[in-house]
Amino acid sequence: MGVRPEVRIPGRAFRPRSGLSARRSYVGYGFIAPAVIVLAALTLFPLGYNVWLSVQQRILTLPFENHAVGLANYVALAQDTQFWHDLLRTLMFTGISVFVELVLGMVLALVMSKEFRARAMVRVSILIPWAIPTAVSAMLWAMFFDPRTGFVDFFLGRVGLPGSHLVWFNSAFFAWIPIILSDMWKNTPFMALLLMAGLQSIPKELYESARIDGAGSWQAFWRVTIPLMQPVILVALIFRTLSALLVFDTVFVMTGGGPGTATTVVAYYNWYQFFTALNYGYGAAISVVITAVAMLMAFLYVRATVRQGGLFR
Amino acid sequence: MSQKKGKLVMAGLAVLSIGAMAVVSGAASPAKAYASAKPITLVFANDGLGTELSSTNVAVKEFEKLHPNIHIKVIVESANSTQAYQTLVTNLSSGSATPDVISADVTYPATFAASHWILPLNKYGFNLKTFYPGMVKSGEYRGKLYAIPWFINVEGLYYRTDLVKTPPKTFAQVLADAKRVLKSHPKMIGVAFEAQKYEGAVTVFQDIAGGFGGSFLNAKGKPVLNSAADIRALTWLNSLIKSKVSPASVTGWQEGNVQQAFTSGQAVFGFNWPYLYPLAEAKGTPTKGHTGFIAPPVSGSHSPVASLGGTDLVINKHTKYPKQAVMFVKFLTSKAIQTQRAVLAGDPPSRSDSYTPALYKQAPWFKQEKTVYKYATPRPVTPLYPQISAYIQTALSSVYSGQMSPKAALDQAQSEVVKLMGQTHGG
Repeated sequence: MGVRPEVRIPGRAFRPRSGLSARRSYVGYGFIAPAVIVLAALTLFPLGYNVWLSVQQRILTLPFENHAVGLANYVALAQDTQFWHDLLRTLMFTGISVFVELVLGMVLALVMSKEFRARAMVRVSILIPWAIPTAVSAMLWAMFFDPRTGFVDFFLGRVGLPGSHLVWFNSAFFAWIPIILSDMWKNTPFMALLLMAGLQSIPKELYESARIDGAGSWQAFWRVTIPLMQPVILVALIFRTLSALLVFDTVFVMTGGGPGTATTVVAYYNWYQFFTALNYGYGAAISVVITAVAMLMAFLYVRATVRQGGLFR
Repeated sequence: MSQKKGKLVMAGLAVLSIGAMAVVSGAASPAKAYASAKPITLVFANDGLGTELSSTNVAVKEFEKLHPNIHIKVIVESANSTQAYQTLVTNLSSGSATPDVISADVTYPATFAASHWILPLNKYGFNLKTFYPGMVKSGEYRGKLYAIPWFINVEGLYYRTDLVKTPPKTFAQVLADAKRVLKSHPKMIGVAFEAQKYEGAVTVFQDIAGGFGGSFLNAKGKPVLNSAADIRALTWLNSLIKSKVSPASVTGWQEGNVQQAFTSGQAVFGFNWPYLYPLAEAKGTPTKGHTGFIAPPVSGSHSPVASLGGTDLVINKHTKYPKQAVMFVKFLTSKAIQTQRAVLAGDPPSRSDSYTPALYKQAPWFKQEKTVYKYATPRPVTPLYPQISAYIQTALSSVYSGQMSPKAALDQAQSEVVKLMGQTHGG
């Protein structure tokens, strides 16, 4: 037994213990048990099953050849250049889209937390994209970028910008632009909502004293707002990063991973192995690796959060 | 859907012997005497909406009248074939007893049969003599019959009879005709075709590759995707885009876009399926009276290849009512019902004896369509087809977007497919 701190220290576990509270804690466990069991059934079981599946040969079109194969699926995956390219593309997509969404979300949050007329209406309307199903918003954005009927083409032509005769989805590079825009349009409101909650928890007095000390609004933003919002920003980043890593619907609807494999992401490849190749063992191995990458990301963020001492104080 | 009330109490199910089945089979003869005692419900997963769905419902009503104890519940599969496939795979792989009868794209039965999800039908006495052999072949897997052709679908080349006087036969003629018309009508589209990254791009590629004497798999079932003929075919298709005979936007096109381009009078040529014919000949359409449908072009002495689409009927292996399901499939694929469907929905019958003078009178275009059926060529019948198709889709899309040369893209597809077929089963 290590020495337990007698007082709370940010970032450290603090568990005062006495006979009485220890006994009480058993009652507490009893109360949370049903929730824990349900959660475990909903998350741990599929996860465990998936791990088990990933060490099997399970190809639906070969129903009598199921057997355990050890790590063969993982060995094959390690040599699967398609998968690694997809992973790299996914990470790049995640980095770019989450960064842009963070910046725009922050701007929106700052605007929405100012007092102005019809603020409530603006707040509600800003959330509309978030309420639209991803597949629908992807469809919308694909239509906007249609070279014959989309307004993007028309608009770019009007202002004399290049790109007016571009077939966006037929370019390995430009196909990403509608994808990222669609993702941004849908998810920035979510980011803004989280950040706005963080903004509102900052006491007004801090800004007042900053002003008295001679800080401009730019300085106040960097010295007061950002440091105090760090925990909230990290939470928002965790949410968005994990869901961006798993991006599927937008790509499925807009490009089918094309042109060629230029916009194929890991979740798309995972879907392909499960539902087109009907190779459940290999698909499960891909899922396990994606889960591991996602967990690693979450771990890094949480560690950063704990270091900031903000979240789990 | 019609709900049958007051169903008759009939002789026991046990009475329904195979012998009785033989009597019932084929013709849509009254079969009340053989119907089962307990009313049952068969679930029929049907693809198609609009007139296709309503003609299914007409046929279902007739069947229910003949067999008062069998109620048919029609559920509609997604119009998007990729999504319809997902739903079927989910249902079938879970071992669900329903849907009992499934309408399946011609490319599904091999996969479903290999996975042991559907019933072998050899012992049920289907007589397929008058059915198109290409269609029948698409329903066979490892020598067993798994699917009964419901209607045939063959991809061909639509052209404007007012702008192109003699129907072209060769690639050079198609190109020359398109370019000639484009000179006087510069806003038109020379050749409209499906080039999005999806199945439709693969069937067009098979048409063109076949015209050059190429194919996806050779006679022994070995992949030959990077053959000289296939490379020439992809080079030809790509040159349509590069030379602006086809706009670059075709790289985002599916059948619906080609249909719209053709029926709006913008396209000189268009690769598409028979369903387009009645639409192009509809009242008020600029193409009315100016639509021709021919086999895809060829080079040299090669014979045309027209990709076979179409829909089969298959029976879920876990169905509780295999006999009734067979009766229903026989009814739907009978001569009379197929003719009825052709009239109501424009779906071309899968058996030649359904093309009656009465049908031609109502829908004269079937005459021209029928001339293309003899070139109908199925896509490779193998459970690996969905994956082979995916590699071809990637190759086509890589070339159309300028990321790869036709040779490099097909070399890569070939090596992937060789690897794929080596890893798992070959046929």
